[in-house]
Amino acid sequence: MIKFENVGLRYGIGPEVLSDISFALEPGSFHFLTGPSGAGKTSLMNLIYLGRRPTRGLVTMFGQSINDLDRRKLTPIRQRIGVVFQDFRLMNHLSTFDNVALPLRILGRPETEIQNNVNELLEWVGLGGKTNVLPPTMSGGEQQRIAIARAVIARPRLLLADEPTGNLDDDIGFRLMNLFDQLNRMGTTIVIATHNQAVIDKLGHPRMVLEGGRLNIESTAQKNWIQKKIQGVF
Amino acid sequence: MFVQKDRKLGVADGKRQYDLPLNRDEGSGFLILLIALMTFLAVLALSASFVLRTMGDRWSSGLENKLTIEVPAESANETHDGIVISNENVKSLTQEIAEKIRHHPAVKSADILSDSEIQDLISPWLGEDVSLIDVPMPGLISVQLQVTTPETLHALEKAARDISPTARLDTHETWLNDLLRFTGAMQFAALIITLIIGATTFTAVAGAIRSRMAVHKDEVELLHLMGAKDDYITSQFQRHALTLTLQGCVVGVLGAGIVMVLIGLISGDTGGALIPDFRLGIVHMIALFLLPVAACGISALTARHTVLRVLAGMP
Repeated sequence: MIKFENVGLRYGIGPEVLSDISFALEPGSFHFLTGPSGAGKTSLMNLIYLGRRPTRGLVTMFGQSINDLDRRKLTPIRQRIGVVFQDFRLMNHLSTFDNVALPLRILGRPETEIQNNVNELLEWVGLGGKTNVLPPTMSGGEQQRIAIARAVIARPRLLLADEPTGNLDDDIGFRLMNLFDQLNRMGTTIVIATHNQAVIDKLGHPRMVLEGGRLNIESTAQKNWIQKKIQGVF
Repeated sequence: MFVQKDRKLGVADGKRQYDLPLNRDEGSGFLILLIALMTFLAVLALSASFVLRTMGDRWSSGLENKLTIEVPAESANETHDGIVISNENVKSLTQEIAEKIRHHPAVKSADILSDSEIQDLISPWLGEDVSLIDVPMPGLISVQLQVTTPETLHALEKAARDISPTARLDTHETWLNDLLRFTGAMQFAALIITLIIGATTFTAVAGAIRSRMAVHKDEVELLHLMGAKDDYITSQFQRHALTLTLQGCVVGVLGAGIVMVLIGLISGDTGGALIPDFRLGIVHMIALFLLPVAACGISALTARHTVLRVLAGMP
């Protein structure tokens, strides 16, 4: 579903922040992306949600090589990806409801469907009473829940979350991790960048560890795939 | 429905116009004012162009196939200035010439101007109260031709000079051409001014859109990353530009309309003499009302083009 082969990324003429990144994400898989600060987690997430194109290597997403794909053809691919940004990136002038409804409006869904789905999800994440509140007046945890609700509202095929539980207390953090787990069971591929070892240990999904711009996969399946790649099996 | 005070408490007003906060940008009022002033000037410049066009057309059509034969109140004298002849003699010669040329096949009508008509013509220069009894007056014949050809003009001039050697034909061509050239130049200048005003307006709109794109770069990028098509994003800027332009145009057209009515009232009814009335035909009015429509359309297209260029730089 998502395949990176010897991918490198550099900003401008600076050194490579990501080097020789190779991995494959199978449909319905769940991975944690970990590593020390500055290891390149956000840069790798940026590449996966198509915020940037790699400076080298091959990237295949949903069966399409994106390296030479026209930028307009990336739009339908992006529509299948939900992202929880580390800094939330909410629209501060829009209400909680409208922030969460944004992906559905972009997809052109009917307003009745938007009303039902958004209200239901906001209730679920504990923001049912704040549908008309503007994000800047809400706490960091509430804003994070809006960001998560916005990322999952359109039932993406791939969900990326950068430190999604950083501002949440343990209770709501685990509750949202359960939401990710449920989405995963329904077929959504999930990659979560986190430092939260408790969450990683509790859910027990394989880890992708970035160190110094290079990726180590702590998953038997991934290791096998890389090994086959090196041996030229495919 | 929420009221303004709720917004201060961090509650949305329930009206989502755009995904991007375009309607809260500083400078929207300035842009509306700029567009209003530009529309105001454009409407006036275009109106002036139409009035000049009407003036030129009226002069051309009014004097087409028309000429005036003047019988001066002096006889020919090769060594001195002409010797003044009596008004009775002038009238007699004028009558004779008119009778003769009426038989020419190219002449539709030949009317001798009465004393009162001649007085009307010269009163702007000599005043209403001047008695013309003792002033030597030329005879004037207004001739309407079927068609004007050099042969006809030559034949009529010969026929007039056979009777009065000092008789002159005035086809109005020289001064009419000068006037038409002048009004044409003025009309061209008015159109150029209109075009410059238009170009200035659209440059301002493009600049404003570009600055809004820069201000809202993060939000635009977010929509882009969430899978918004270029059309989804451009349509918001287009709608915003259209709304601002429409507001500016309405103010500008209303202002220009009031000024035009005032000019019409001040200039009064000129009676269709040399300077025509400051009135516009229905076609001109429609054209003036199409100006804001065109402005809105071009403004929206400018916004679209500007946004697409910026989006093309995104991955």
